[in-house]
Amino acid sequence: MNDLALYRWLVVCRELDRALCVENPRWFPIEGEEATVVGSFVDLRPDDAVAPHYRDPFVVYLMRGAEMWRLAAQVLGKSSGYNKGRSVPFNGPVERNVVPWVAGDLGTTLGVAAGAALAFQDAGSDRVCVCTFGDGTANRGDLHEALNLAACWRLPIVYVCQHNGWAISQAAETYLLSSVADRAAGYGMPGLTVDGNDVEAVRVALRAAVARARDGEGPTLIEARTWRWKGHWAGDPQAYRHGPEPAHLEDPLDLFAYRLLERGTPLAALQQVDDEVADEVRVALDRARAEPAAGAAELGLDEVYA
Amino acid sequence: MGGAPSNVASALSAAIPSGLRRLTQTEAVIDAIATEMRRDARVLYIGQDIGAMGGSLQGTQGLLAAFGPRRIREAPISESAMVGAAIGAALFGRRPIVEISFGEFLPAAMSQLVNQAANLHYMTGGVATVPVVVRTRVGDGPYGGHPQDYSAWFAHVPGLKVVMPGHPADARGLMLAAIRDQNPVLFFEPMALAHGPREDVPTSPDETVPIGCARVARPGRDVSVVAIGSMVPPSLEVARQLANEGIELEVIDLRSIQPLDTSLVIESVLRTGRLVTVHEAWVTGGLGAEVVAAVAEHAHGALRAPVVRVGTARVPTPSGNVRPHALPNAARITAAVRQVLAA
Repeated sequence: MNDLALYRWLVVCRELDRALCVENPRWFPIEGEEATVVGSFVDLRPDDAVAPHYRDPFVVYLMRGAEMWRLAAQVLGKSSGYNKGRSVPFNGPVERNVVPWVAGDLGTTLGVAAGAALAFQDAGSDRVCVCTFGDGTANRGDLHEALNLAACWRLPIVYVCQHNGWAISQAAETYLLSSVADRAAGYGMPGLTVDGNDVEAVRVALRAAVARARDGEGPTLIEARTWRWKGHWAGDPQAYRHGPEPAHLEDPLDLFAYRLLERGTPLAALQQVDDEVADEVRVALDRARAEPAAGAAELGLDEVYA
Repeated sequence: MGGAPSNVASALSAAIPSGLRRLTQTEAVIDAIATEMRRDARVLYIGQDIGAMGGSLQGTQGLLAAFGPRRIREAPISESAMVGAAIGAALFGRRPIVEISFGEFLPAAMSQLVNQAANLHYMTGGVATVPVVVRTRVGDGPYGGHPQDYSAWFAHVPGLKVVMPGHPADARGLMLAAIRDQNPVLFFEPMALAHGPREDVPTSPDETVPIGCARVARPGRDVSVVAIGSMVPPSLEVARQLANEGIELEVIDLRSIQPLDTSLVIESVLRTGRLVTVHEAWVTGGLGAEVVAAVAEHAHGALRAPVVRVGTARVPTPSGNVRPHALPNAARITAAVRQVLAA
């Protein structure tokens, strides 16, 4: 992947998310965390499984070939969303090796993602799974169970804690007293912390962990430190936020863009990417808005059982 | 248990194309699992103590030797991760059976069962499928431990199937059907029947028992006794005793809790006009209530007496010596039958 292609994914992540927040103030914005999301998944093979955290995971599905207008339609409650208007709108195309997110509960995906890795191991393939989760989710017992199970079975999976400092209204210092990555030692697996605002640092960490998983050496736990810029949901008044924002509040897009400029990428090339993505998002949103709302036709009494 | 090893060995030998064998319920379930593992390389088995120990209540005896540790996969005591991993493996093309040693441990995996397994197909617009079998054991048994029976909870949730056999042939046929089903199926084994009498069990891999179909275990004209699981044999015993008095019970074995075959019950009550429901789980909010509701909705005029529901007393099922005083049994079924006949 060349630098501009990587930059493009970051811009897609931000621009689509901003548009969705305007359309649906109950959408869960990803702004500020783009580097962790993009860097965790961008180097996977199409046959690997992706299990992103629920906070705007759409860039991951787009990497898998999801249609942007259908993802947008899902957030707008349209019938053409991947979930047919039935679930929380975090779904992606399951047929493209996406671990589905259908419930509002946190932590269950950690076990289901381990199961994807189990399937790959059981079938004798070298496919892997990458699963991201929040620092709030890190306190579910499910994380303990999933990490230990993955370690005992040497499953080909990488768990990434997308540490954005907040669990809805609670600040991490009230519920996480030490590093999530440090817990890895307790499960006999490698754990490391990376700058979650530096997409290249995230990629480097993931590449090593994915290679390890592919070689049958088992799971890795990575903690990517980033920051949630906006509310839990787009319209969140955030009355709970006081005090100075932390030092590592850095714009992952700016960070990478400045680096590209230093490496000699012309500013015009970056601006061209920005413009192309803005058009792409506009076209997708226009199409999504024109779709019919999900309703009685999608009730699906005949789709409860396969 | 005398003779179990030889029957297990026979259960694990190459499938006999047709015919019958005498197996206990446990041997019949193992036979079904072995049959499917031989037939389908995607089937794997996850649980605790399922390997060298041979399973809780000898429930997996012989499987490790036959299929090895990759397919008979022992897990840490982590019910949520085990069920979650089974769901994930099913989403990605495998056909896992996950054993929760005892039904009392199911609540530890509740979110995976009711928020994930049950919902995935529907919530993904009908794309994802979750062919997982959750095998577990409930009720009174040879050792008296872990008797709580939570089977009715799962019938409340759309997207799950729930079965509970009442004799060995159904145990085998329902397990075959459960493993081949495209949906999550909870398979509840009544522990009271685990090492019960050997009965004729089909050997053909094709003799599945369809999920959602009750059976008439004994035809009769006077009272419909609708039972499931461990309460089927005592209901049949009561029917034999009362036949000496000229009272003919029709015993229906529901076999599935979800989907629930109410049509067979309604047809029966239309003939008998009297209904007793019997299960080992509690009465309140239970399977019997659902059966009675179906009769009230579709055969109200046929009832000639108030219905009676028999179940465990409304106490946490005791695992100590108090237990027999809480559980339903043949005497309580007899009393219920006499009550509906007296009305």
